[in-house]
Amino acid sequence: MEPTSPQGGSRTWRTADAIHIDVRGLQPPEPMIAILRLIDSGTVGDVLVAHLDREPIFLYPELDERGWNHAVADFSPSEGEVILRVTRQEQR
Amino acid sequence: MSLAAGFLGGAKSRLLPPSVPFRFFGAAAVFHVLMWLALLSEVDEAMSFRGGLTPTLAALHLLTVGTLVATSIGASVQLLPVATRRPLVAVWPIKLVFWLVIPGTLLLTGAMYAAEIELLVTAAVITTTGLFLFGALLADNLWRARSLPVVAAYGWAALVSLVLLAALGTALAIDYKTAILSDHGRIALAHLVLGGFGFMGLLALGFSHVLVPMFALAPAPSKPLSFAGFGLAALAIAIGAAGALVDAPATLTAAAVIGLLAAGLHIRLMYQTLQAGMRKRLGLSFILIRSAWAMLPITLMVGLAALHGMAGPNGATLFAFLLFWGWLLTFLVGVLQRILPFLASMHVNRPGGGPMPSMGELAEAPSLYLHAVSHGAALVLIAVAIASGSIWLMRLGCVAGLFGAVAFAWFAAGVIRRLAAAGR
Repeated sequence: MEPTSPQGGSRTWRTADAIHIDVRGLQPPEPMIAILRLIDSGTVGDVLVAHLDREPIFLYPELDERGWNHAVADFSPSEGEVILRVTRQEQR
Repeated sequence: MSLAAGFLGGAKSRLLPPSVPFRFFGAAAVFHVLMWLALLSEVDEAMSFRGGLTPTLAALHLLTVGTLVATSIGASVQLLPVATRRPLVAVWPIKLVFWLVIPGTLLLTGAMYAAEIELLVTAAVITTTGLFLFGALLADNLWRARSLPVVAAYGWAALVSLVLLAALGTALAIDYKTAILSDHGRIALAHLVLGGFGFMGLLALGFSHVLVPMFALAPAPSKPLSFAGFGLAALAIAIGAAGALVDAPATLTAAAVIGLLAAGLHIRLMYQTLQAGMRKRLGLSFILIRSAWAMLPITLMVGLAALHGMAGPNGATLFAFLLFWGWLLTFLVGVLQRILPFLASMHVNRPGGGPMPSMGELAEAPSLYLHAVSHGAALVLIAVAIASGSIWLMRLGCVAGLFGAVAFAWFAAGVIRRLAAAGR
């Protein structure tokens, strides 16, 4: 799927198992807002993969409040990328 | 352990151990309580305080160094390395900062309370050494914070203020032992301007440019206007400190007027940010933060009035009270009650729900409501007491403040206790 630029300079695209969003280059807190807007839009299935250039520590409690888990899948700030995998929490 | 938990473990390892920032927050909560006790011990002297080694001077430094600076250090060392994408070079220097600044502050304020001049000088040197070490760590991080230019600009200016205020503070302490200053009062006023508006004020304004959008889920404020606000604030502080040093009322007046412009612009930017935010219900913390914003221009106007003899016999005391208790402390407790659960939750792995309650649950803690009501009552009662000269109102205000500080310490202890339990 071709990447799109829906909001605030971020790019989104879909792969077989997830929606991806690239928010690298945005100034804090824009990356967090772009990710939360995407989640709140209801278009994400169960998995979102976010590509960032710093660890979004303030995003984690927001995800938790919305019922989503997070895990840092790759962390290489020297290469300018942190990959965060966000998954919908199972209903309890 | 799940795959997600494994990844999370990796993420957690990139944060400082929670004991590092939370030792500063814990100390700040204790100093906050001690500050009200010190103020309560000599209420009649506090109402017309003009300086000198007294319990009120001790209370002022329990608030500024003990509560405001300790919190700033804890928050900075946790947040800046993440924002700048580079971890601290090592953890031990920040632990050393703690062991210099916290015992140093305890000794410093104890010496002020008991008017122990020998101890005062030693304690000032210990505390200043710790603050300079923190300054070096802050400078190292700011140097790498190129992606946050507004915050970095405020940070550098705050750092310059810190160096100057610590140097002047040490000179003031030495002056009590060996008279080295031609005019102790002028240096003390410059020290106050550099501390209240310079170091602490600039950090509060600078961090607001990231924290307020973060809390409100809003875009960052306009960069050109943010830089304009920074320029005005830095200019006002430079002119204000110079005016204090040379005892020039016209220069101090100009500084206050420029400061009012800077405050007006900052408040406008913050309100625009809140209006653009995805989150409209910001809770109790933002009642305190909005109140603090209102206090900033009020403080400057009272300062102007006091400068021109139009604020009554205790106008200067009222100005200092509004600056440190009204603007800075109110802003700090507003931010802290929001940020403590945030920072705690960063360290807790609870994919299935663990012992750490949610931010919402913590933000609704009854102790926070008790604190907010008591803090507000203390501000009103003490401001009226200083203006009217009523000792009973002053005493009542201090009791309300003490009650609020205990409630806040209870909240902070609860967060730390739950964090410790989650870590086991």
